[in-house]
Amino acid sequence: MDLRAGDSWGMLACLCTVLWHLPAVPALNRTGDPGPGPSIQKTYDLTRYLEHQLRSLAGTYLNYLGPPFNEPDFNPPRLGAETLPRATVDLEVWRSLNDRLRLTQNYEAYSHLLCYLRGLNRQAATAELRRSLAHFCTSLQGLLGSIAGVMAALGYPLPQPLPGTEPTWTPGPAHSDFLQKMDDFWLLKELQTWLWRSAKDFNRLKKKMQPPAAAVTLHLEAHGF
Amino acid sequence: MMDISLCLKRPSRMGDSKRMRMTSNFQWLLLTVLLLYLMNQVNSQKRRTPRDLKCITNNLQVWDCSWRAPSGAGHGAAYEVCFENGSHSCYRLEKNVKIPALLPGDHEITINPLHDFGSFISKFTLNEKNVSFIPDVPEILDLSADFSTSTLHLKWNDKGSVFPHHSDVIWEIKVLRKKNMEIVKLVTHNTTLNGRDTIHHWSWTSDMPLECATHYVGIRCYIDDPQFSGRKEWSDWSPLKNISWSPDSQTKVFPQDRVLLVGSDITVCCVTQEEVLSAQIGSTYCPLIHLDGKNVAIKIRNISASESSGTNVVFSVEDNMFGTVIFAGYPPDIPQKLNCETYDLKEIICTWNPGRPTFLVGPRNTSYTLFESFSGKYVRFKRVELPTNESYQLFFQMLPNQEIYNFTLNARNPLGQSESTLLVNITEKVHPHIPTSIKVKDISSTAVTLSWHLPGSFAKIKLLCQIEINKTNSVHELRNVTMKGIENSSYLAAVDKLNPYTIYTFRIRCCTDPFWKWSKWSNEKQYLTTEAIPSKGPDTWREWSSDGKNLIIYWKPLPINEANGKILSYNVSCSSDEETQSLSEIPDPQHKAEIQLDKSDYIISVVAKNSVGSSPPSKIASMEIPNDDLKIEQAVGMGNGILLTWNYDPNVTCDYVIKWCNSSRSEPCLMDWKKVPSNSTETVIESDQFRPGVRYNFFVYGCRNQGYQLLRSIIGYVEELAPVVAPNFTVEDTSADSILVKWEEIPVEELRGFLRGYLFYFEKGERDTSKMRVLESGRSDIKVKNITDISQKTLRIADLQGKTSYHLVLRAYTDGGMGPEKSMFVVTKENSVALIIAILIPVAVAVIVGVVTSILCYRKREWETALLKHWK
Repeated sequence: MDLRAGDSWGMLACLCTVLWHLPAVPALNRTGDPGPGPSIQKTYDLTRYLEHQLRSLAGTYLNYLGPPFNEPDFNPPRLGAETLPRATVDLEVWRSLNDRLRLTQNYEAYSHLLCYLRGLNRQAATAELRRSLAHFCTSLQGLLGSIAGVMAALGYPLPQPLPGTEPTWTPGPAHSDFLQKMDDFWLLKELQTWLWRSAKDFNRLKKKMQPPAAAVTLHLEAHGF
Repeated sequence: MMDISLCLKRPSRMGDSKRMRMTSNFQWLLLTVLLLYLMNQVNSQKRRTPRDLKCITNNLQVWDCSWRAPSGAGHGAAYEVCFENGSHSCYRLEKNVKIPALLPGDHEITINPLHDFGSFISKFTLNEKNVSFIPDVPEILDLSADFSTSTLHLKWNDKGSVFPHHSDVIWEIKVLRKKNMEIVKLVTHNTTLNGRDTIHHWSWTSDMPLECATHYVGIRCYIDDPQFSGRKEWSDWSPLKNISWSPDSQTKVFPQDRVLLVGSDITVCCVTQEEVLSAQIGSTYCPLIHLDGKNVAIKIRNISASESSGTNVVFSVEDNMFGTVIFAGYPPDIPQKLNCETYDLKEIICTWNPGRPTFLVGPRNTSYTLFESFSGKYVRFKRVELPTNESYQLFFQMLPNQEIYNFTLNARNPLGQSESTLLVNITEKVHPHIPTSIKVKDISSTAVTLSWHLPGSFAKIKLLCQIEINKTNSVHELRNVTMKGIENSSYLAAVDKLNPYTIYTFRIRCCTDPFWKWSKWSNEKQYLTTEAIPSKGPDTWREWSSDGKNLIIYWKPLPINEANGKILSYNVSCSSDEETQSLSEIPDPQHKAEIQLDKSDYIISVVAKNSVGSSPPSKIASMEIPNDDLKIEQAVGMGNGILLTWNYDPNVTCDYVIKWCNSSRSEPCLMDWKKVPSNSTETVIESDQFRPGVRYNFFVYGCRNQGYQLLRSIIGYVEELAPVVAPNFTVEDTSADSILVKWEEIPVEELRGFLRGYLFYFEKGERDTSKMRVLESGRSDIKVKNITDISQKTLRIADLQGKTSYHLVLRAYTDGGMGPEKSMFVVTKENSVALIIAILIPVAVAVIVGVVTSILCYRKREWETALLKHWK
């Protein structure tokens, strides 16, 4: 994974994904209740925006952590970041998840990540970095609200946090600065993976929620081009 | 070494050798054999006596003496040792003897082997000088380690109670590292024995974290007792004690999160069970130093300042990496420019500059403590932000009845501390807040009361406030007000000598006495003073209408500083001895009134009125005193104005009035007027209305008791320009050799200056060919006539050629320049006399030639006839 700001490959990938899913955009001339489609689209757009925003933030933050954290081939083991929600999942397992489970996992992951990010914000030594982190936290809070909106539109209940399982940011003498930096690195990395995964989830959900007739029509039109 | 004498226990055998000398060679041989035998006997006796007595002491109180046992003495042989030490003492013992330290000097010791009949008694002379002083091996009481600081702490007992005298002790301590016992430190440590057991400490900070390798410590000592005359020797090394870190299964890097000075060296190690492949600091790879097992270290020399999140040191193993963060920075600089002052005598604000950046941020950032020594109070400052060069500040609550403060600002970070001190009398360091709530209240039209709020406990000091008074188009004025300070209140000051009905802008700043700093200027407060009656009547002039029946009265609006308010209306009255005519309430924008008067001798009075009252009247006589001796003069100005002069006239009692108007306007014409005092003889007339090239009429009036007399009439320009048109000219008459040209005057508006003359150019030329040619006076074929008599309107050009085309050009000029040209082509008439002559001469010549020819032909015929006749 490459977290450097200004990565043109990431932008290209984003563009390709958008183009690939272009034929599946919901029909604009639909009438009546729009359903959850628009809110899923908004959530998807917000996810892509956050991916872009994270690229800039990660570049700044990794430079702040200093070398070798900001080196392109730096790939440390995941040591103390065990409490971070993992975005990676087996493809078969992922495919087997239903919509509710996917959305729930997304919601829970971002809830946790947001909490860790806020801790990161408190730790940052420079005011400029704190401003950038605070801005990103606000955006991520928006994404959480957006996911909650999609879940509500689909009639899914929001996951309730189990008592005592709220993630806490506990920097202290037991946690050395180096391990802290490793955690920070992994937090940014997981965030990027989660955003990538969420974009796929929301795109899949978006396609699923489209009325079949409209989708076919649009598909044919796309092929007609 | 030791003086030993032997005493034989049995009688001598010297009688045998005397008998052997009786023979010669055999005797010599026997003698030699005998000598060898005797020497053998002596040696045998030596071996059979105690010898090599050696005494050492560990404590200077007891000497431990030992000797070599006689040969053949059994393991448990007993001896009787006797010595003299004031009294004769004997001890029975086996091998060595501990005797109390003997007094200085030689002492005889006899050692008599007991129960050994083949042995001899030995006598030794023992002196303290022959005794060696070898202290006991020191015992390490404790060896501990502070792993966080990589410091070893050694503790031991000097056992000073054993020694009778005060003595200097040299301790030698050695530190060994790793299992192969590399000496990393050998140091001496000096103490003094003082008759008591004393615990000593020694600490040593390792350049390598103690977790990296096992460290061993040993100690020995040398006691330099000044009263002991024997040989002093080092004790043996104590048994080594070691410090080692008990690693758990996890790999760890040491030191963790260490803060150190920029430029220093540091060793970082990785305690691991795995093979370390590489190590790097930041992005720079470092050579590995192999320690015990698979532990490795790297040495970082002259480390540079860290970035805000520290410098990363990373060790990589095959599938993992471990690291630590080092924070290289500086101890806090001495706080610079420490300054303490107060805004309100309630709270002291101390500011300072942190000086050189420490490069340490977050929890390692510099913390500041401001301590006041008289009260013992302090306040703390902690910045989380990245430090910058901006000033830092701390607030300290003032204490009642304390004016002198002795501040110490202490700066501290993990690398050290520094401090600055400041003794301050706070009543001399008052920098008041900005005055607020500025209010203005009328006292009169020329005085107001200013009030403002100034927070602060200024009850015991004096305040000096400065009021800035700004008036539009005027320089600002500063007035100082001194007042007694009060507690958190408003202050009042009267401001007088203001102008009525004037917009003033006030702002205030204050300081205290003695002066330290001005407060910032308050916000501006604008205020319009109230109106007062106009201070003067308007400037008035009058003109008679062209028919002489009406008098037109003009007046100028009062300037704002004389109007003292908004002028609402004017009253005009014309008074004579018999009657008075009045025009009342002429509204303000109107500054002219016309009154029909029967006669010319009136006094006109004009009064301006505002809301408060009327101005004093302005009076002017209506009469014009005739002046028969009047000439019209010319004057030219300086561009923006024109200087007019006149002779002093003692009859002029009031003033001079200069009025002017544009000369092209019809009478009565008045653009403006100006009054100058009666003692003046010149004035410069300036007006925004003046334009260059425009002719103005100026009239200078002298004011006398009865009225005004026109003294001078002047036409003039503020600046002359060139004429804008050329004079229209025509050819009045043409002959064969001359042309008469006539031209017209140029109108005044187009002349734009006083006409100074005309230039007339002429040259031969056809219309088509000369059209494009420019007339230049320098050309030889162009003739120029400069006509300076401006009354001349005709010109005859003579000496021209007949029947020739001429190009004529006329242009006028003023002092402002040459006007445009107007041109014309004229052809002169033909010359008839010359034509006649030209015809008559050829005819006459032809006639004469014919006559002559006829005559010659007739004569020839006559001659031929006569000749023929002759021949015939």
